[in-house]
Parts: sequence; structure tokens; C-alpha cells
Amino acid sequence: MPEDAKAQTGARLPLARLVRSPQDFYGGLALVALALFALWSSGDLQGMHGFSFGPGTAPRLFAGILLAFGVVIAAMGFLVKGKPLERYAVRGPFWITISIIVFAVTVRPLGLIPATFASFMISGAGSPETRWIETTIAGVVMTVFSVLLFVYLLALPFQLWPRF
Amino acid sequence: MNELLSHLALGFSVAATPWNLLFCLIGALVGTLIGVLPGIGSVATIAMLLPITFGLPPVGALIMLAGIYYGAQYGGSTTSILVNIPGEATSVVTTLDGFQMAKQGRAGPALAIAAIGSFFAGCVATVLVAALGAPLTSMALLFGPAEYFSLMALGLIFAVVLAKGSLIKALAMIVTGLLLSMVGSDLETGVGRMTFDIPELSDGIGFVTVAMGVFGFAEIIRNLEGSAEDRSIVQAKVTGLMPTRQDLINSAGAIGRGTIIGSILGILPGGGAVIASFAAYTFEKRFAKQPQRFGNGAIEGVAAPESANNAAAQTAFIPLLTLGIPPNAVMALMVGAMTIHGIVPGPQVMTKQPELFWGMVSSMWLGNLMLIVINLPLVGVWVSLLRVPYRLLYPAILVFCYIGIYSINNAPADVIIAAVFGVLGYWLVKHEFEPAPLILGFVLGPLMEENLRRAMLIARGDVTVFITRPISGTLLGIAVLLLILAGLPMLRKRRDEVFVE
Repeated sequence: MPEDAKAQTGARLPLARLVRSPQDFYGGLALVALALFALWSSGDLQGMHGFSFGPGTAPRLFAGILLAFGVVIAAMGFLVKGKPLERYAVRGPFWITISIIVFAVTVRPLGLIPATFASFMISGAGSPETRWIETTIAGVVMTVFSVLLFVYLLALPFQLWPRF
Repeated sequence: MNELLSHLALGFSVAATPWNLLFCLIGALVGTLIGVLPGIGSVATIAMLLPITFGLPPVGALIMLAGIYYGAQYGGSTTSILVNIPGEATSVVTTLDGFQMAKQGRAGPALAIAAIGSFFAGCVATVLVAALGAPLTSMALLFGPAEYFSLMALGLIFAVVLAKGSLIKALAMIVTGLLLSMVGSDLETGVGRMTFDIPELSDGIGFVTVAMGVFGFAEIIRNLEGSAEDRSIVQAKVTGLMPTRQDLINSAGAIGRGTIIGSILGILPGGGAVIASFAAYTFEKRFAKQPQRFGNGAIEGVAAPESANNAAAQTAFIPLLTLGIPPNAVMALMVGAMTIHGIVPGPQVMTKQPELFWGMVSSMWLGNLMLIVINLPLVGVWVSLLRVPYRLLYPAILVFCYIGIYSINNAPADVIIAAVFGVLGYWLVKHEFEPAPLILGFVLGPLMEENLRRAMLIARGDVTVFITRPISGTLLGIAVLLLILAGLPMLRKRRDEVFVE
């Protein structure tokens, strides 16, 4: 873990200073939010009827347990001293997400070859170490390799080029 | 004993036919390759290759899939040792000492010990599968829904207790996994649950999608943050493959203990190989004469977890073949493969299709033999493959993952869902939530719900059935005991020490 990532970021707001372990506190709160969301979204499902479970019983059961865990984790984060929040990187997650979306959006209309090459190049932007000429060559090699492996060797039914 | 020998003889007569030998070899080779490449795990590969096995005879198909699985356990260690990125989740702990050894120029002995340990463990586990198969099958008849539920609960608790970090956070992750597994159509009524009328969610969230997102994507995002040195590939030449006499003496005990721990944990549902490797490492470190050597290139730190994960990978077949419960994600896919060929996994396989059961068991031993023969000479090839710098490797892994996820259902939406889980996984790591318990909860969720429902229905809504039935009560009792033990501050402290790098 890099040292700079451990920099304190949680001490800006006066309220935040009260929280003794921001990492756990906000982690717990997020679980609470997830549990509440699950409770809300499974609210319209039928529950117990007689002895038997309805479709909504198990989801609400698990969401309820998660809610309890979330509250306890958040409470412990508030009371017990622990780690500060870590700094989030932006560059890596951003470009990788874009690359994934580009692949998902282009693979059907444009085919495997353009989608693979494009997403390879875009994901390269996620690292400051990328050298573009080298990455372009690697992208071509990788695209050829993927086609050979998935389409010819594994015989998966992929479309390779855009269809007009 | 005679019966066992005649069973094994039947098995070898099936496994040693030229076609089955070829399937076994292909499986082992593909498994090693995907084990070496980080980012594509055995789960994803087996999922991708399932359709191809349609055309094969059932025995050949299962032999090949099994080969991929234990081959991947082998290959995973190579990446852990040379690149400090676990090729497989089961090789995570191998990175601790394996990469240190590689940095000291001792990658050769580390790789060799991993292979030798795996082979030994594989042999022992094969015998165990053969020996324990029959008695456990008769035990399966005693298991009702309540027992199955309790058994899975115990498996999950095991996973939590042996994992690192905060206990309550790990428990919360299990429940998150269980909750996520509820998305999709209800098994009994077919009603869409938490699907928000999105058609892609009506079949539920795919296991591979979640696993690739939370493990694969999140891992890469996190690796990009680190400085270049943390993950630099060993550039030093791998010289001298053979371990010294001292290495062999040091690791002999660790291999034996790792094999025992792995064999036991592999049988338990919930984690199998992943937990086994962690547990074996923990055990070695705790009982070592000089614990401080661990993390600085101790050969026992490679030998024990690598033996354990291979033993566990094989004994994990025991609950699948005898009780019909898949103890982990790969085994869940094996259920799928068996169903495709019209075989219902469970106690009846052994009696109704002995040639399938014993053929598969025997092929595991042959497969392990092939692995050691093909792998040691191939280490040089794997090393050169891994000398590719990370800035080129990570886009390649990513693209591989995209195509892999897309190929499962030919659904672009799956790739997007995986991206969401990638971001989630990154967030989890930042808040020190472990992703492994989440995955386990996710796999066992539907099975647990089904058995919970059935047990409650049979008991006419009486919750105490889980405690009053003796086997179920015992299993739950062990689970509670484990939780209490793990909650004790003294043990907690020890547990954490193991993972201080």
C-alpha cells in the first residue's frame, strides 16, 4: 500500500472529527444503505404464508440481518478508534470503467476485433506508465491472439467485424 | 480394502483409455495456462468451456473439466511466485513467501517445491476420495434439508473464522453475498426479485460476473495505484530449478501438514482450496521455530499452502460426488456439467455409474502425474510469458476478462454488471471488507434458501428443528463454538498477526 494513500482525508468537517474510525463508520453506513435499498425493492414481494416462505421472505430476512450488521459496524466505527479513509484513485478506475463500457457497447454492433482493440487502448490510459507505441503494438497482438483463441480454437460464435 | 482396489482398478481401466488420457492432458494443460494468467480463473474458464463438452462422452467431459480445475491450482502458484499477483484465489498466500524467494533469486526452488508439494497432496487426496466416497455416501441418507442448511452455515462460518481482518465485517460480507444471490427469479414461484424489470437481471447475477468484477477488475484497479516496484516482475534469471537438500528437508513436514489440512478443509463446504491454503500457512507460521522467517522467503510458506490447495481442490469432489452439494463455485459448475449429460450428482452416482465415479477419481491421479511432468520443464516458458511489463499485461488481462464474461451468455449487459462489481470491489478493499466471504455467500445463497424453505415447511414452521435434529444441532453447535473462539481477543490477535506482511 502506498504511503500517500494513507493520508488523512476524513478530518475536514467538524462532524467528521467526531468519528473515530471513518473507514468502518462510512463502510457500515453504506451497508445500511444497501440493506434499506434491498428492503425497499423487495417490499412488494409476498412474504410468509402459513408455514411456507414466500418469494420475499429470504431477501427481507437477509436484508434485515445486513441492516443489523451495518448498524453495528457503523456504531463501532463511531466509538472505537481505527483507520482513516484511504484516498481513492481516479485515473485507474475511470479509464478502466470507460474501457469496459466501450467494449460492452461496441462488441455487438462493431464486432469482436474493433471492440477488443478499442477497449485495450482505452484501458491503457489508466496507467501513467503506458507508452503508446508499445501499447498499440500489444493491442494488435492481443486482438489477433483473442480471435485465434476464442473464435478459432474455442469456436465461440462471435462476430468479428461490423455488419452492414 | 479389496473392494477399494477393485474399484480403483475399474477406474484406471476407464481413465487410461487413449481418449480419456488425451482429455485429461488437455484439461491439465489448459488449467495450467489459465492458472498462470492472472485475471482468468478456473471458474471463468470452466464456465466458458462447458458448451464445448456437450459433444464429448460424459466421463471424458468431466475428466477434462476436473483437469482444468486442479491444473489451475498448479498454475496459480507460478504467477504468485514470479509476479506477486495470485493467478488463482487459492494462491494468494503463496505470494507472501514465494515472491520473496523469487526476489532472492530462488524462484526455481520455490516453483519446484510448489509442484512437488502439489503432486504429493494430489496423490494422497485421490486415495482419500476413493476411500471416503463409500462411507460418506451412506451418511448422505441421514441428511435432510435442515442438516444441509446447517452444514452450509458451518461452512460459511469456517470461511469467516479463518479469513483475515474483522470478524463482523466478514460476517456482513457473507450476508451481502446471500442478499445479492437473491436477485433474479424466485425458484418456486418464478417471481422476479429485486430485478427492477431489467431483463438481464431476471436470471440473476451470474457468478462469473461477480467474481471477475470483485476479484479481477478491482484487483487491477488497485494494482494501478501502487508504485511500480510493488508489483515488478522478477527480472532476475531463474537459475537452478532444483531445490537444495536443505530445502527438501525443510519443506517435507510442511507438505505433509498442508496435505492433511487441505484434505480436511476441502471436504467442508464453503471454501475448500482458498481457505485451506490460508489455514495451512497460518498453521506453519504459528508452529514454526522461527516465525519471523515467514514473509521473508521461507520455503515452508510456499510448500504448505500449495500442498493444501491441491489436496483441497481434490477432496472438494467428495461432498459433490457423495452428498450432491457443491462445496465451491467450480464444483457448482461441475453440477452443471453433470446435469448437461443427464447425471444427477449425489449418492446414486457411485452405485449407478461406478465407471464414471471411479474413472474420474483415477484420472485425478494420472492428471497430477502429467502436471508434474509437463510443468517443471515448462517453467521457463511461463517465466518468459510473465516478463511482460504490467503496463502491457493489465490491458491484456482486462480484455481477456471482457471477452470471457461476454462469451458466457453473449450478453453485453453482463460486462457492464461486472464493471459495477469491479467498482464495488475497489470500494470494499478501501474499507477493508474482504471480498471472498461475499463470493461464498453468493454461491451458497440459493442452496441455503432452498433448504431453509424445505426444512421450515417439513417442520411446519418450527424453527427449533435446526437445533433438535441431532446432526443439524451438532453442526450449528460447532459453528457457534467457532464464532465464540474467533471472537476471543487473544485468538483474534494471533489471527491478525499471520497476515501482517
